[in-house]
Amino acid sequence: MNLIRAEAERLAARRFVQLMVLLLMLAFVVTAGTTLASSHTPTSAEVAAAEQQAAAERSVIEREHARCLARDRGEAWAQDRNHYLPADCSEIDPVVQGWSPTAANYLTDVFTFTQQAEALLYFLVAFLVLFGFLVGASYIGADLNSGGVVNLLLWRPRRMTVLGTKLGTLLGAVLVLSVLASVAYLVTFWVIAQVAGYPGPTDATFWADLAARWGRGVGLVLFATAIGFALATVGRHTAAAVGAVLAYLVVWEMGGRIMMQILDVSRPDQLLLSNHVGAWLAGELRFWDATPCADAFTGYCNGTYPLTWHLAFVVLLLFTAGLTTTAFAVFRRRDLI
Amino acid sequence: MSGVIEIEGLRKTFRSVRKGHRVAVAGFDLLVEAGQVHGFLGPNGSGKTTTLRALLGLVRADAGQMRVFGADAPQSLPQVAHRVGAIVESPQFFGNFTGHRTLRLLAVAGGVPVSRVDEALEQVGLRDRGHDRVKGYSLGMKQRLAVASALLKRPELLILDEPANGLDPAGIREMRDLMRTLAGNGVTVLVSSHILAEIQLICDHVTIISRGQRVTAGPVTEVLAGFDRNECLVRADDLTRAEQLLQAAGLTVTAHADHLVVGGVPDPTLISRTLGEQDVWVRELTPVRPDLESVFLELTGAGQQPTLPRQTDGGSAPGLSGAPSIDLDEFRGVQA
Repeated sequence: MNLIRAEAERLAARRFVQLMVLLLMLAFVVTAGTTLASSHTPTSAEVAAAEQQAAAERSVIEREHARCLARDRGEAWAQDRNHYLPADCSEIDPVVQGWSPTAANYLTDVFTFTQQAEALLYFLVAFLVLFGFLVGASYIGADLNSGGVVNLLLWRPRRMTVLGTKLGTLLGAVLVLSVLASVAYLVTFWVIAQVAGYPGPTDATFWADLAARWGRGVGLVLFATAIGFALATVGRHTAAAVGAVLAYLVVWEMGGRIMMQILDVSRPDQLLLSNHVGAWLAGELRFWDATPCADAFTGYCNGTYPLTWHLAFVVLLLFTAGLTTTAFAVFRRRDLI
Repeated sequence: MSGVIEIEGLRKTFRSVRKGHRVAVAGFDLLVEAGQVHGFLGPNGSGKTTTLRALLGLVRADAGQMRVFGADAPQSLPQVAHRVGAIVESPQFFGNFTGHRTLRLLAVAGGVPVSRVDEALEQVGLRDRGHDRVKGYSLGMKQRLAVASALLKRPELLILDEPANGLDPAGIREMRDLMRTLAGNGVTVLVSSHILAEIQLICDHVTIISRGQRVTAGPVTEVLAGFDRNECLVRADDLTRAEQLLQAAGLTVTAHADHLVVGGVPDPTLISRTLGEQDVWVRELTPVRPDLESVFLELTGAGQQPTLPRQTDGGSAPGLSGAPSIDLDEFRGVQA
């Protein structure tokens, strides 16, 4: 417990951590201020006009869907070849797609919470991922580089305990900061929408979806933090972690992608971590693979395949756990000179 | 014989893909008994710091046995860590933390009362600067802070690797006094240093390591006595005649520009008597006692190695007896 307290204090006292928190707050203030300044509470006339537009658009979509279904049933009125309809009618089914126009889509210069919440959350998650990775890497990297770990080991000569406590304290601190920052962030924008914008239609589905994305976002922040910590532990330096990520992006995400295209590797997108990160955050991403359609010269061929957050979770978890285990194994045997 | 620190047959080889293998310690033995102030000497790269790091569990030994307070090191170090204060080489600290905060974090991590922080800062003379940021500290102040961190737990065994690094003469004297005080309070001290005069002044026992192996060990007085050639430095009014008379008396004489070095003299009065009887008057007669530096250089051959000790504080160290220090070349001349 003493070690955790000391590590938490050491972490909070780090200049880099303080700087990153300051940047987070600055980004928060700038975003909120800009939003507040550029938004206004819509008048009842604006809302009514927007609702009218949304209703009209919804009826167009529903009509197109109905026509598509009629075409599939063979009804004559829907057989116009000059009128494009997708082969799969579910593609334009508003219920299946989970989206249909609302008044919020037609309000100009109005901050609409339900429209913007997802993008705002992703921005915050992106910042927190960067924060977690850099703080995680510098926390142990600077300690290894400066001899801080050696000092600590002279007091507590248990390497696994010391490194484990450092990682645990780091993850705990980043989790607390992420939760507090994201809650404060979303609540602030919710309030802005109430007083100077438009909250939009919120229901249980909206909140559940937002909560799920938020939870996965915070999870991604923890993955990034652990990865930064592990890479810096293996490389003994903060820069080693940054370098490893850059090397991965250039070598595998760019070079590997090109090589896989040349070699016609099946479903190459599922071999790239960035896609799993996207799938984890979004819940699901769909990619197109030409392999199953190679022989389909005529007719419809659906070559898409999904990457779900379930698979992404397993991949990210295994990747993070593998790196972390490696870091602990290396640190356990390393000569600290 | 059981000691506070026992090292037997320690071996450590560093392996590097780029640099190949480097044997740092090759079967080294060390025994430090309770209450000793034990000097640990060796040229740069001789294996001192590697030995201390291995003892403290910071590097993995390839072979050998180590015990601290009877506990196997490094496996059982956690059981005795609270009794051991140590600094290894020049510890670095976060520049943005104050000295006080640096020590407080260590105290909290080690379960030591935070009230000890001010006491430790006081002990090393840093109390007034304790709330300054470490980046504003001089090298000597950082060294003091490191020593303070080792003193925080009121250790029974203090291991100090080059504690005088960066200290000015006053700081070195304070450090010497501090070690004496600690030793007086029953703390066992193992101190490695390249400032040999300091070691000679504060240590009662010494171990010298060279190329990873122990070359001598024992009480400082005994180690020095082993190198005493019963020599005297002589200055007289007629140096040429004095040389002839002393040689005629069967003594080994080496002539220098303004003095003679006479060897094999168990009693210096033999010289004054021999010369006085022939009306040659002695102006100076000084027994030449080897000091630790001379012994060190002789044993390690450091003076002949491409890599010399980092620093010998600007010259030879005074001998225990207060006799003038010996010029290395002269000393070797005497040996010949």
